[in-house]
Amino acid sequence: MRKHLLTTAIAATLVSSTSVLADTSDLKIVEGDPLQLTIQMNHARYPVYKEDWPVEQQAREWTNVHLNDVTVGSNMRTDENSGKTEVLNLMLASGEIPDIVGSSRIKDFVNQYGPEGAFLPLNDLIEEHAPNLKKYFDERPEIAAAISAADGKMYYIPYLPDGKYGRAYWIRTDWLNKLGLEVPQTVEEYEKVLRAFKTQDPNGNGEADEVPYFARQWPELIRLVTLWDGRSSGSDTYHDFMVNEGKLEHPYAGEGYREGIKNLARWYDEGLIDAEIFTRGSSARDFLLSENLGGSTHDWFASTSGYNRLSADIEGFEFKAMAPPASVSGKRIEEHRRIPIKPDGWAIGGTNEHPIETIKYFDFWFTEPGRRLANFGVEGMHYDMKDGKAIFKQEFLDQGPVNRSLYQVGSQLQGRGYFQDYGYEIQWSNEFALEGIKLYDEGDYLIDQFLGVAFNQDEQKVYDRFWGSVRDYMLERQQGWILGNGDVEADWDDYTAQLEKKGLGKVLEVMQSAYDRQYGNN
Amino acid sequence: MQPESRINRIIHHLQREWQIYVMLLPTIIWFIVFLYKPMYGLQIAFKDYSIFRGVAKSPWIGLEHFEYLFSNDQFIRAVWNTIKISALNLLFGFPAPIILALMFNEVLHATYKKTAQTIVYLPHFISSVIIAGIVITAFSPSVGIVNTVLEWFGIDSIYFLTKPEWFRPIFVGTGIWQEAGFGSIVFLAAIAGVSPSLYESAVVDGANRWQMMWKITIPSILPTIIIMLIIRIGNIMEVSFELIILLYQPATYETADVVNTFVYRQGLQNGQYDFAAAAGLFNALVAFVLVMVANTLSRRYSRTSLW
Repeated sequence: MRKHLLTTAIAATLVSSTSVLADTSDLKIVEGDPLQLTIQMNHARYPVYKEDWPVEQQAREWTNVHLNDVTVGSNMRTDENSGKTEVLNLMLASGEIPDIVGSSRIKDFVNQYGPEGAFLPLNDLIEEHAPNLKKYFDERPEIAAAISAADGKMYYIPYLPDGKYGRAYWIRTDWLNKLGLEVPQTVEEYEKVLRAFKTQDPNGNGEADEVPYFARQWPELIRLVTLWDGRSSGSDTYHDFMVNEGKLEHPYAGEGYREGIKNLARWYDEGLIDAEIFTRGSSARDFLLSENLGGSTHDWFASTSGYNRLSADIEGFEFKAMAPPASVSGKRIEEHRRIPIKPDGWAIGGTNEHPIETIKYFDFWFTEPGRRLANFGVEGMHYDMKDGKAIFKQEFLDQGPVNRSLYQVGSQLQGRGYFQDYGYEIQWSNEFALEGIKLYDEGDYLIDQFLGVAFNQDEQKVYDRFWGSVRDYMLERQQGWILGNGDVEADWDDYTAQLEKKGLGKVLEVMQSAYDRQYGNN
Repeated sequence: MQPESRINRIIHHLQREWQIYVMLLPTIIWFIVFLYKPMYGLQIAFKDYSIFRGVAKSPWIGLEHFEYLFSNDQFIRAVWNTIKISALNLLFGFPAPIILALMFNEVLHATYKKTAQTIVYLPHFISSVIIAGIVITAFSPSVGIVNTVLEWFGIDSIYFLTKPEWFRPIFVGTGIWQEAGFGSIVFLAAIAGVSPSLYESAVVDGANRWQMMWKITIPSILPTIIIMLIIRIGNIMEVSFELIILLYQPATYETADVVNTFVYRQGLQNGQYDFAAAAGLFNALVAFVLVMVANTLSRRYSRTSLW
């Protein structure tokens, strides 16, 4: 099997290299013997680096740079939130830093240890030796600012997602039709619809077992405070800070949040929200939709639209995206979106003896052939060029989830700094997702996101010291109010006083100073 | 008398008994490598530690981590929660395996006894993740067996795992269910060691089974019980925090958050190893004091002790 793969890979490389020979000769970074560099690469979805990935073979041939896998701890699987930082710590503790280190969740890590000398600063290298990276960062200065460490230098090249849309509101449109209801346009209508789902038995089994609103991640319940002009997060990370006209704030200390929680507690009490929302966990969507119980949720376009396949088992099943209902003041916002930069990517180890060649190698992935390679795999093997566009081969699309197939050939790796091309995803999104995206495109519901800050040492200390406790307290009260342990109106003054006492003010202060330094907002 | 003769004696002894010392060696090495050598790293509790700089090169900061710990009311709450959960564990969890062992000892039907033992041992071998899954399902308000039974009696279903007041009973109960059977093995072994002649003479004296249990079995296994109790007290700060992490919610932090989960959230998740080491050191100190106290009391009052 392996041998077979290898031969096809070689055959394909031969084909592609002859077809694009003219453009690729200038991709070569070193002449003569290939330059050998070591690499550590982990990423949350695909935990091992493979030198014989077709994509790596192609890159090696074009650049004449050969990456040797020295990954430490590649079999450690960790959850999406802690990512791979434990593995990175392990690597650092082992004392040897490879020439290239690629990982998900690498940003805070390199920004902490880069200034101490563990990683090389990239600004000058990019300026002098990496025209494609330079062009990208010149066009997007806010991205360069967002990934920089507190000393103002960049220590990693990020994975840059493309496409805007992440999550959307979803509703059982066949239930709406059955009960003679319209798609809700305001928060009041949304409440009516959810109540109808609960009381009018849209699944027709004679029991009031419908779960009107559910979510795989319980913070998606808190997301609904946007319907009362509150906020639940400033970025695509839950419970994050937000920027309001240049000022750092925490959404869980705002008035809209209080109003939202008050109403959500009422919804919860009335049974409009899944009673088990806090413990049901990641299988909630799968279970509630396949059992014909779930009515509405807030979840990702691509994966949620896929559930329409259930129409084969459940008569009439139709789960469609709907526009965000207008809030009490008439605003329609979709708080979640894909963030333009991820904390994932790769960095140059402090002991690397070939920094210039390495940055040129990083730059290669931002050239047109390099970017295509990072996004679509190898030409002639996984995709063909048609009218200047990379189009996946049908047999590749038929292999199952395309993102998984791509990981397996070495494309779309979060541990590599590259610029994603949304064209890759659109080719395998189903009609329901595309229809939903069109709806959100027309409505223009997205809002700007907070891209994070890099602390200096003193700021980091204050943040580490206070933020954990403040956050724990916020979440504890939040769940308590929803579940009816306490009343948000009555507790609010005490709550804000406690936040201040636990140090929210100090945390905001250091966030603000880091933010002003980073985004030049003095 | 002469120093030489003493050395000679030791050499002779070693020549004769060297096999025994070789057998001891692996344990000593294990202790040095895994328990004594890491103590060097404990100093990071007093340092501003960076993995890159290493233990030796990180600067000293004195008691800063400890000051932070004790100024944080969530940490204080976590300490109390740890003690409360452990006390409940001790109160209900410690006697359970003893009672179980005594009960097994009284069962005469061999097949029945073996089957029952296998059933109570089994949960010990299930991973915490599975246990948590079982608990979450069992206490679920919609499909859980517990609420289904409550509904038969006309009681409204309760969302147990989000109620702070229910967390401790559920956690301690789960612990008993999981470990009582396996824990009874050591007591069964102690009971097996009781000399049969004691029971025979008791039968001659006309004692019934109940009397034999109280007058012979329990006094005979008392040293084992006390040793187990001291060991248990030493582990009082070590509640099985994997299970807590799997079962708790922000809504139940109030009763569920223990020192280890607090450290996990605030220390390890953010890579603050120095801070986590400080909390761990505090934990170890408390446990050390508790063991010393328990051992001294036991030596004084029951003449049984670990050392």
